[in-house]
Amino acid sequence: MNKNAANAGSGATQAGRPARLSLADWMPKIVMAPTVVAAVVCIYGYMIWTAVLSFTNSRMLPSYKFVGLEQYERLFMNDRWIVALTNLGVFGGLFILICLFLGVMLAIFLDQKIRAEGAIRTIYLYPMAISFIVTGTAWKWLLNPTNGIEKMMIELGFEDFRFNWLSDPDMVVYCLVIAAVWQASGFVMALFLAGLRGVDGEMIKAAQLDGAGIITTYRRIILPSLKPVFFSALVILSHIAIKSFDLVAALTNGGPGYSSDLPANFMYAHAFTRSQIGLGAASAMVMLGCVLAILIPYLYSELRGERHE
Amino acid sequence: MANLVIENVKKRYGQTEILKGINISIEAGEFLILVGPSGCGKSTLMNSIAGLEDVSEGRILIDNNDVTYSSPKDRDIAMVFQSYALYPNMTVAQNISFGLEMRKVPKDEREAEVQRVADMLQIGHLLKRKPAQLSGGQRQRVAMGRALARRPKMYLFDEPLSNLDAKLRVEMRTEIKKLHQKLGTTIVYVTHDQIEAMTLADRIAVMKDGEVQQLGTPQEIYDNPTNLFVAGFMGSPAMNFVPAKVVEQNGAFALELQASKPTVVPFPDQESLKPYLGKEILLGLRPEMITEPQPHKEGAEFVVTADIDVEVTEPMGADTMVLTRISEAEVNCRCNPVYPTKAGETIAMMLDTSKAVAFDKDTGERIDR
Amino acid sequence: MSNVAKRQTSGLDKVLRVALYVCLLAMAAVYLAPFIVMLLTSLKDVEEIRSGTLLSLPGSIDFSAWSKAWSGACTGSQCEGMAPYFMNSFKIVIPAVAISTLLGAINGYVISHWKFRGSDFFFAALLVGCFIPFQVILLPMARTLGWLGIANTTTGLVLVHVVYGVAFTTLFFRNFYQSIPGELIKAARLDGAGFFTIFYRIILPVSTPIIVVTVIWQFTQIWNDFLFGVAFSGFDTQPVTVALNNLVNTSFGGKEYNVDMAAAIIAALPTLLVYVLAGKYFVRGLTAGAVKG
Repeated sequence: MNKNAANAGSGATQAGRPARLSLADWMPKIVMAPTVVAAVVCIYGYMIWTAVLSFTNSRMLPSYKFVGLEQYERLFMNDRWIVALTNLGVFGGLFILICLFLGVMLAIFLDQKIRAEGAIRTIYLYPMAISFIVTGTAWKWLLNPTNGIEKMMIELGFEDFRFNWLSDPDMVVYCLVIAAVWQASGFVMALFLAGLRGVDGEMIKAAQLDGAGIITTYRRIILPSLKPVFFSALVILSHIAIKSFDLVAALTNGGPGYSSDLPANFMYAHAFTRSQIGLGAASAMVMLGCVLAILIPYLYSELRGERHE
Repeated sequence: MANLVIENVKKRYGQTEILKGINISIEAGEFLILVGPSGCGKSTLMNSIAGLEDVSEGRILIDNNDVTYSSPKDRDIAMVFQSYALYPNMTVAQNISFGLEMRKVPKDEREAEVQRVADMLQIGHLLKRKPAQLSGGQRQRVAMGRALARRPKMYLFDEPLSNLDAKLRVEMRTEIKKLHQKLGTTIVYVTHDQIEAMTLADRIAVMKDGEVQQLGTPQEIYDNPTNLFVAGFMGSPAMNFVPAKVVEQNGAFALELQASKPTVVPFPDQESLKPYLGKEILLGLRPEMITEPQPHKEGAEFVVTADIDVEVTEPMGADTMVLTRISEAEVNCRCNPVYPTKAGETIAMMLDTSKAVAFDKDTGERIDR
Repeated sequence: MSNVAKRQTSGLDKVLRVALYVCLLAMAAVYLAPFIVMLLTSLKDVEEIRSGTLLSLPGSIDFSAWSKAWSGACTGSQCEGMAPYFMNSFKIVIPAVAISTLLGAINGYVISHWKFRGSDFFFAALLVGCFIPFQVILLPMARTLGWLGIANTTTGLVLVHVVYGVAFTTLFFRNFYQSIPGELIKAARLDGAGFFTIFYRIILPVSTPIIVVTVIWQFTQIWNDFLFGVAFSGFDTQPVTVALNNLVNTSFGGKEYNVDMAAAIIAALPTLLVYVLAGKYFVRGLTAGAVKG
């Protein structure tokens, strides 16, 4: 107490900075320090490091001989990368659209006071608990051109049924879509169901008193109020799509040829197995660019929204 | 028991100044109420007294010790929060004794203290329960018990009754007043409810925009508000503000109003009206000063009877509030319920200006006395 | 919410309702089918697989594929089955989950109740860490692990998972602690409790739900990870996902789909079990932050 009283005078003169500097006041900063260091080094530091590597001619080992944008030029001259990017566009687009459609539909269906809702919901969502490697393994077998679904349909009497997408370079990317939708659509359903349960019941009563039928109520009142959920689902799904690596590894291993490669697989292959560190780093930076293009507007609106609350 | 001195306390967050130089000083044992609309800085000031927020400038003295830069636990203060802030994982008894435990008070002393506090607040039967199992009023009592247990130098109450229903709020208000009378400890109490402020306080500090508008006893604040804001804030229904023109009549300054018909009323502080001759001022008149004609007041010095047009009547049981319009301003009058009042009619009312106050129309400052 | 579907009386409504159930159950069948196929296939022998179809039942229940998958199948050059890798995964998952959860709890506590200059900014910066494609940190991390001498070790993988898991755990705890009123912490400070005392005595005791959510989330994430596993593990420290992928893609002799499927189910079993036992918390983790209010 006396010490404080003595310090008070000088503390007040220093533009009111408090004079107490005990360990307790530093505790929050001290305990946060490891995470701060880890994040600064391992997220932002590494990002910069990879960016630097992408401007060098690194091959098997990192070298720091700068070659400007050469790696990016090589990247976009590389047919395999173009295929990977195109695949990402097709895969990502279809994956997101189908997941959103299925997810919203199932959520609305499940929201109709369904008996055994819990059990059905559990079934829809269980694939999300499984690794993409397991999903890939399972669907590789299901989509097997000779022994899988094709054979089953032929046995069932559809003699001309052909389903060989997995070995067709033009169709193999749709196999990825099927497996990924199977895994992630239940998650979108869960997101929307939680959103639907959060909708203000009085608003719905008001809509019904205004004479709106059930379809109109959903279309005009409920779904528009779930815009933030749409937004979140969109961000999470595109994020899953851009990061997709394990599904390709397990389901197609990029094949036939490299027809089902995605950017993540391209990056891994070049950086770790084909001794093209510079090219791999450049492809990683392009992926980061894609994610940031989606993420920054999202985080911006999220944080702004929070400030308004 | 301790006195409290707040000297020129300022608090800034970046560019915005939340407290703009607060000066308050109260004696040991006084009940000080900080009152004001939300955002006026009263809670920030409270947190500064508790040491939960650092001040940017100025000094705070408790019991003549400068505690401006002491940590909360060294100030020997207890606080009752608006949300009660009971520790949800602890029983009532543990909640009450937690502060003692932190101060390393031996177990048997702690138990004795819990018992003493529980008896004082009649919560003995709740000691083994968790906060979630208590009603709002019970939580309120436990929160007070937690504050009482440490026998601190000073108590801080941060809107402690605002989460209770109306009936319970009145009960607990009385309870707190009794407690203060019994303990005689210094209390600083934040509220936005002017009735709480009036009923509990020894002294009230009315705050607005980070400044103390007026510091005084409840009666001073009620009768002699320093400006339009204080006058309008304290009292329910609020004081009526009637635009009035200063005129000269029979050699004295008086105020001309437009009730049902033009009416001239006298005003006590003659000197103050002089500079305003011919101009408009705002006449502040409490609702209880506009009543049905009362025979015993007939002919008194500052009493005038005038006709008014009744717009709405609100019977409240003990009184009937009559809403009318004087000089275009909405005016509340407090009438005896037996006096016949009916919307749409014109009735006679008695205006008593002996306690009326006058404000400058532009600055809102008090001009008389 | 469900009051949208309150009055279902007319005949048309009944027909619609039946259609709704049919639709929901059909979709449930579609979601279940792959797992059923996996299970059936794993119980057949190779001959049955060749002659039958996906959904044909096994003639006799045969667990030999399971025992081979567990202890005999070849994953690359080794033929010890999934068992050692299954254990590897646990050796990685348990410490990684424990450390990242603990760090997340403390960080969340600081960010929500002991704000300091820059803590909000740091939180936003950390959030970005939840979303970056990990490809962007793979190369530097590989170099770093090499320098630290923990490349291809379990320790290295634990470190990686902790570093990139902390962003999520911090987010979870922060969102949860945000709902604890600040007055509670103020009251404890006035009572004389310090930073850690408040954490142990007031905050942790009410954190059980969020701890469960976080542990389940982290367990599922790390168990199911493939990218870090394949990039940073050595032959004898591979997690189960990497081993499964190797097993499936190893082709010595004929393809044994029954063994593949048994191995896949083994790899999926721990997370599936967690999901079945604590699905509520799993869903809460998934939707955390995504749906507000």
